[in-house]
Amino acid sequence: MNRTNATLVRHASRALGVAALLGLALAATQLSAPVDANAQDETAAAVAVDPERGEKLYALCAQCHGENGAGNPMALAPSIAGLPQWFVEGQLKKFKNGARGTHFDDIPGMRMRPMSLWLKQDSDVVAVAEFVANMEKAEPVAILEGGDPEAGKAKYLPCTACHGQNGQGNQALNAPPLAGMSDWYQLWALKAFKAGIRGTNPLDTTGALMRPMSMTLADEQQMLDVIAYIGTLSGE
Amino acid sequence: MIERYLEQVSTYAGDIDGLINLIAWFVGVWFLVAEFVFFYLIFKFRHREGHKGEYITGEEKHQKRFITIPHFLVLVCDIFIIIGAVRVWVDVKQTLPPADATVRIIGQQWAWSFVHPGPDGELDTADDIKTVESLNTEVGKVYHFQLESRDVLHDFSVPVFRLKQDAIPGRIISGWWKATKTGEWDIQCAEICGIGHGVMRARIKVQSAAEHASWMHENSPVASIASAN
Repeated sequence: MNRTNATLVRHASRALGVAALLGLALAATQLSAPVDANAQDETAAAVAVDPERGEKLYALCAQCHGENGAGNPMALAPSIAGLPQWFVEGQLKKFKNGARGTHFDDIPGMRMRPMSLWLKQDSDVVAVAEFVANMEKAEPVAILEGGDPEAGKAKYLPCTACHGQNGQGNQALNAPPLAGMSDWYQLWALKAFKAGIRGTNPLDTTGALMRPMSMTLADEQQMLDVIAYIGTLSGE
Repeated sequence: MIERYLEQVSTYAGDIDGLINLIAWFVGVWFLVAEFVFFYLIFKFRHREGHKGEYITGEEKHQKRFITIPHFLVLVCDIFIIIGAVRVWVDVKQTLPPADATVRIIGQQWAWSFVHPGPDGELDTADDIKTVESLNTEVGKVYHFQLESRDVLHDFSVPVFRLKQDAIPGRIISGWWKATKTGEWDIQCAEICGIGHGVMRARIKVQSAAEHASWMHENSPVASIASAN
């Protein structure tokens, strides 16, 4: 082996050594990343207040709900941006404990339940709910047609008791805001409550309150009317 | 060999493991032989002072035998593998033993749901039991399944049964199993089906006859109504 070749081999060996060390360092960094699903409770509790934690966890939600949380009807994912933290937390916990997403005909719910199970600790649920609540409200695209807001106004009266006159919701009654919610999702939810797909699981105590209310809407046209009226509400 | 790490719970799990073992042994032996020859030749024909490299065309008979003899031996091994594979394929996939019960299995993004026949033993009747994430069966009974998909490709996989079957939208695919012991095991999806594929799980419960009858009585809609009255 001549001198030039020997120098080349020496340089190549050093480069390989440095690359290996960099690789090990990178691997160690990845292993200690806060999104590690096996992180201890203490660690999770510590990062729960870190907005970056919620943002990292939201990356999975964004696959269906979108980067801006406006939802995607093709993925059966409603708009969630700006929903109150207490509501998002409550729904995530319902999915996690099987109160939602375990009914045979709850097709969108069955898509959501396994996603909720990625949130290993309660602190993860809090972090991602906080992030969603702080997102700027996104205007979901209106899909439904044929609803008459004037006719829906009267039908909305029973809803005001919990959801408020302007569809702003009421935490004390576990009633989420309706204004700004995806219209197609409202229709699906009303039908699901009425058919017993939602609100019949013994663990879903808040959903059980909504089920009899859905019965006040006799048919799909009345549902479309009331959803059209909700579309005119400010949510303030 | 495989059963040390993953128990066998269906009547055909042993046959499938036997086929995998057969292939593993043949391939393993040939791997070791090939590596031995490879390193032996590297050593034998290593660079030595005064020896010039020789170009070999490989046309001489004594040179070609390094290819032809292993080639024919591998073909003999292939015959054993093909016989074993066809035998298992016919027994497991081509033969449907008479069913004691039939269940419907439905895959969707990202959950498994199931329709069990109720006490009347027939699907699509009022006493059907519909469940999500949990399939309840009885030990020692031949179950037929009707596998469907609501959206994309899935694959119904019960590792302890050594059962894997694709679910294809628009098709109803049949198959069978007969469980050999009671217990509870994982059901997985073995076909990449979207972002939630990795968490698309369910459990299969193989129960004794008494346990299964009790479960059926408690969960059948018709039985529940009857007992409530």
